[in-house]
This record gives sequence, C-alpha cells and structure tokens, in this order.
Amino acid sequence: MEIKLFRPHSLEEALSQRAQYGRDALPIAGGQSLLVMLRNKLIDPQVLLDLEPLGELRGLQAHDNGLSIGAMTTFFDLLSSSGVQNAAPILAQAGAKVGSTAIRNLGTIGGNLCHNEPGADLPPALLALNASVELRSSKGIRNVPLTEFFRGYFETALAADEILSRVEIPALPEGACGAYIKHSISPEDLAIAGVAVVVVLDGNNPVSARELRIGLGGVAPVPLRAFKAETALSGRALTDEAIRAAAEIAASEAEPMSDPHASADYRRKMVKVLVRRALAAAMDQGERNGHGKA
Amino acid sequence: MAKLKLLVNGESHAVEAPETALLLDALREGLGMTGTKRGCETSHCGACTVLIDGMAVHSCVVLAARCEGKEIATVEELAQDGELNDLQRLFLKHGALQCGYCTPGMLMAATALLRRNPKPTLEDIKVGLDGNLCRCTGYTGIFEAIQSCALGTK
Repeated sequence: MEIKLFRPHSLEEALSQRAQYGRDALPIAGGQSLLVMLRNKLIDPQVLLDLEPLGELRGLQAHDNGLSIGAMTTFFDLLSSSGVQNAAPILAQAGAKVGSTAIRNLGTIGGNLCHNEPGADLPPALLALNASVELRSSKGIRNVPLTEFFRGYFETALAADEILSRVEIPALPEGACGAYIKHSISPEDLAIAGVAVVVVLDGNNPVSARELRIGLGGVAPVPLRAFKAETALSGRALTDEAIRAAAEIAASEAEPMSDPHASADYRRKMVKVLVRRALAAAMDQGERNGHGKA
Repeated sequence: MAKLKLLVNGESHAVEAPETALLLDALREGLGMTGTKRGCETSHCGACTVLIDGMAVHSCVVLAARCEGKEIATVEELAQDGELNDLQRLFLKHGALQCGYCTPGMLMAATALLRRNPKPTLEDIKVGLDGNLCRCTGYTGIFEAIQSCALGTK
C-alpha cells in the first residue's frame, strides 16, 4: 500500500493527525535517517507526517536562562548560529561532526534525538549541557530531561501521540569550559565512542572541578551520563591520578555492544582514553581563557 | 500518486509520482534526467548530490514533495549550449575522474561550496566534499581541479 504524506499547516493540525494515527504516522524531520530506514524496510508506516512546513519548529533563541532550539533546526543552522557558538560551544563541536555536509544541510536536532541511534554525536554533548526536550501532544506539553528521554536501543520516551517540539539548554555556570571528542574510523561515520565534558574549574593550584558533567555516546544502547565518574571527581583536585581513576569509573558505567566497527571491549577502553582527552582539552581551554565556556 | 511541480535548472516541470517519492526518483524516473546518479541510496556516497536553493543535498534522502517552490539544480545545469563550464573543464584537465560515476555528485558538491566560499582552503574543500565518495581515482585530482577553479583558471 502506498504510504501517504501529510503536510500539516500548523503544529495543532500535526498533533491532531498524530493523535488520530498514533504509531502508524511517523513524524519526519530532516529525513536523513528515516528515509534510509524506509528504503531498507526497517519501518512500515501508513503515513509520513512532514514537520518541514511548520516554521514555528525551526530556529533558536538565546536568552538569559540559556538556549531554546526548535526541533526542526538543522545542523547547518546550529553551526551558523553565533548564539550556539557563544552559549554552548560543545554543541557546535558535536554538530560539526555529524555525518557529512549534505546531511548537516538537512538533518535536524529533533530528528537526531528522536532517532536515538547509538553513536550519534549530539546526545552526549546535550547530556553534558543538562538539556531537556519539550514534548507536545494535543493534550498538553511536558518537559523531559534528556537523561530520561533515551529509553533503549533506538527507543525514546516520545509517546505515540507526541511530537518533540523544542530542545532547551540551560545557561552554563560562569567559567564553565568543555569539549566533545569523537572517535570513528572515518569522520562521517557514527562514533565508535563519543565523550562530552563540561567542567567548572576553580582557581586553585592544583586546579579542581567545582562541577563536572560527562556525557557518553556510542558505548551503550543509549547515550548516558557517567554520574559515578562525575561524583568521584567533583570537588577533587584534577591530578593525573584522579582523572585516570575517574576515567576507569566512566568506562565501567558504559554497557558497550560489539558491531563490525568495534568490539565492546575496544569501546570500553576508548571511553577511558576519551574521558581523559576531553577533560584535558576542557582544562586547556579553561587555562587559556580563564572564563571559557563549554 | 501526487502531482508535483518542480523547478529544475530554471525550468518548471510537472511530475506525477508517489506521495513519498524521493527527489532522486522524481528526477530520474519522472523527468528522465539521469545525470544525477543512483548510488548507495543510503546517503553515504553522494553520487545523487543536487542543490536545493543552493545547498548540496543527497537526493536519495529528500522527499520530492518538499521541493515544490524551491530551486533544484542538477549536473545538467552546468554545461551551457554544449560547452562544459570551467569546473567541468578543470575536472578533465586534472584527471579528476576515472569511471565517472561519482562525478555529477562531486561537481554539484563543489559548485555549492564555491558559491558559498569562492576561495576555499584545501581543508574547506575536504569538508565541502565529505559527503561524496570516489572509489576509483582518489581525491587528489578532484581537490586540485576545485582549487584551480577557485584561482580563476579557465
């Protein structure tokens, strides 16, 4: 049966179609992953619900409390935005590493999160930025922290009648710095492992972390925060020894899978390496500008 | 089936295609414009690269219905009156192709890059073409052709 394409004129109309068809109507954002899944017969929807006509879902606003990014904002938009460069540089770092130029021209932040493919670049960065997502249905709006949004392998908390409408990123603490580091065979591949850190350094010698957040991608069925490693290192002097110990803990928090790109064991080892490198990059940045931002 | 009006290389075309037809299929099957190549069909290889409103995209992952009201440019646009354009001539001069299957995509990705950034560095060129694979001749000739086009070589 031929798949139908709905091109709603408003978010309200899209939500009512979503309510009517539930899982049989798949929202399509940039389409860069969904159309490949459709081609490979991994999904079998009756309807594609095209979010592209909904201009209200595209664009971003920087405000005192942080950044608010519409779900249909493309990677190209993110990378062209001075608001992202200023308020969340690690989001720009991660966005620049997604796929290829053509994919970044059309792929969207909302589609990237809802697809929830292991090894995606945005989730670890957005987790380290304490981001949350706004989920809308015809019944209302709920705001879900990203830590609760990713539920399983290609699964999210998005209900059958919901559409992800915005991504909210709170303002970073004063003096925060950060880095996103991706390890892949070829740059346009998904990450074998991707690690994002946000750290707030104090001015002591040796320097210590007043606050630390570590996001991991590609090393578990879902992207995750390495909370145990964060706790182990927060408030401690960031000596080589302490960082090594925390990187070991982060590796133990990963639940990697093997695939043709890398074994589970290799992925776990890469977490150790990348946590150290990401922290070193963030601390370098902190040293350089004193008030660097993640 | 849906009736679409597509503006391709400055000309308006009517196409009848399934509602969720891909731009690649609308161009090749619907309009018989076979310059745009069917490659991996999974957005990896870039053989199907075209421009939408000046931006390089892989037409195997674009819904044709989304392209109504937008300007589509394909490789057929480059040569005028049977004359290759500068970029195409420089591809020949630098041996930037062997089997030629990736060439239409390479040309369109390079066209998008040069319009946005007329003086790209080698690194800019590598990023601009990161969605386009060549499996026979390699990339050196392609990069040289684009660099020399940016320098104004005819």
